[in-house]
This record gives sequence, structure tokens and C-alpha cells, in this order.
Amino acid sequence: MRHVVQQHDAPLTEPVFLILTSLADQPRHGYALLQDIQQISNGRVRLSTGTLYGALRRLLEDRWIERFEQDDTSREKQAYRLTPEGRKQLHVELARMRQLTRAAAARLRTREA
Amino acid sequence: MKLKRAYRTLLRLYPEDYKAMFAAEMWNTFEKAAEERRREEGLALVRFAFAELIGLMTGAAAEWIAKLTTDSSVRGRRPPDVRMMRPPGVPQQLWFAGACMSLGQGSGPDEVAEAENRIETLIARMVHAIANHDFPGARSYSYQEREAREDLRRLRQKHNLDE
Repeated sequence: MRHVVQQHDAPLTEPVFLILTSLADQPRHGYALLQDIQQISNGRVRLSTGTLYGALRRLLEDRWIERFEQDDTSREKQAYRLTPEGRKQLHVELARMRQLTRAAAARLRTREA
Repeated sequence: MKLKRAYRTLLRLYPEDYKAMFAAEMWNTFEKAAEERRREEGLALVRFAFAELIGLMTGAAAEWIAKLTTDSSVRGRRPPDVRMMRPPGVPQQLWFAGACMSLGQGSGPDEVAEAENRIETLIARMVHAIANHDFPGARSYSYQEREAREDLRRLRQKHNLDE
């Protein structure tokens, strides 16, 4: 069977999560995304352009992000922004992570008590 | 320099539709990131080069797999051929007059008017191609338009019409 849609209830991959997080406050173009993701992850994650644009392509297809028209936009410098669906997916992922961290913290406390 | 050449070569491995959409942006982002790494000390540039080249190879493979295993009607992986589309603002009659002329059906006393229509159509197509960043298409229409003007000049001479 041909794969046509992404499983939206599956956890987000780290690059996708970081891209959505980076776009949560303002639109950014490719290089600004790379820099911001490095900053968000305290220098731990440095995406390659192949990984970044592969993820951007999938996010555009799923309409979680969209290309953003700017006055100085050219083919070489295209800005992206979150769509309402992308923002919703980021909230869902944050809720999932919160639940997991709460559960993990509770287990650790029980063990250490 | 070698790194840039290797990057350009590997970029060609991606499917055409992906390249049309992202290649220019990827190149621009890569150049800026490479410039930043060059200013860093140690093996930063070597690590960057390795990650970029591996990333391109795996990325190209992933894009081909996505293209070949995804229903094109759902994902729209086949961009439309803008040369086959009627540009906005061009009446249907005018558009098909141009198509008929290109099939060599234009003859008789209206052939001058049809030749003029064809020039207008070609100009409209050229403008549409430029607006859609289809520069090879625009160049092709430009050549066709020059030839159409020459045809029109000959027809006017034939019918003893003023320029």
C-alpha cells in the first residue's frame, strides 16, 4: 500500500520539533532556522541543510508550516511560518512531553525516597 | 572550493521537483553556514563538510523514496507544465489561436491578424513564464516571438500592408 499521509499522533522527530519550536515566535528563513535551532538546543543540535530542507518539505506538504511572503523574499531566501495546524501539533507534542517528564520525575522521586 | 563543488554535485541527486523548490535556498543556506564554520577554530569545517555531504546523500535517497512511494495526486509531486497553461488575463480564443498557428493552420486573408495574435500570445506566455521563474521557458517564448515578428513582417510585405 502506498504511503500517503504522515501519522499525526506519532511523536515528532527531534529536527521537526526543533523547527516548529523555532518558528513558534516568528517566521524565519533557512539559515536563521539553523542558527536558532543550535541556540535552542544549547549547541547540541546542528542540522545539515539536507536534514533541514527534507523536514521543511514534509512540513509544507502536511501544511504545518507555510512559505511567508516578505518584501525582500527571493528564491534563495524564503521565510517560513507556522500554520494554525502546526501550532496545534506543537501544543500536542508539548503536552505529551510534559506528561512523560512528570511520569519520569515521579518514578525517580519514588526510587530516591 | 572542493566542498562547494561536491555539494553542487550531490544536490543534483535530488528529484527535479524538489530541486525546483529548494535547491537555490539550500545552496544559499549552505554557503552562509560554511562561511560561519570557516571562522571557527579546529576541525569545525571538516565536521561540517562531513555532515553536509552525508546529509545530502541520505536526503536525496529519502526524497527519491518519498517520490516513488507517494501517490502523486495526494502529494502533488509532479508540478504542472506552465507552458501548457493559459496565462491569467489571456482570453481562451486568443490562446487557442496561438496554438492553431503553431500547428500551421493559419492561412487565408486573416493570416496577418492571426500572426499579430500569436505575437501577443507569445508575449503573454513569456511574461507568465518570467513571473513563475521559468526562465528557460521565457527564453524559448522570446525566440518564438522574434520568429513570429519576422513572419508577420513577411506577411505584411506579401499583402502590401504598412509596417
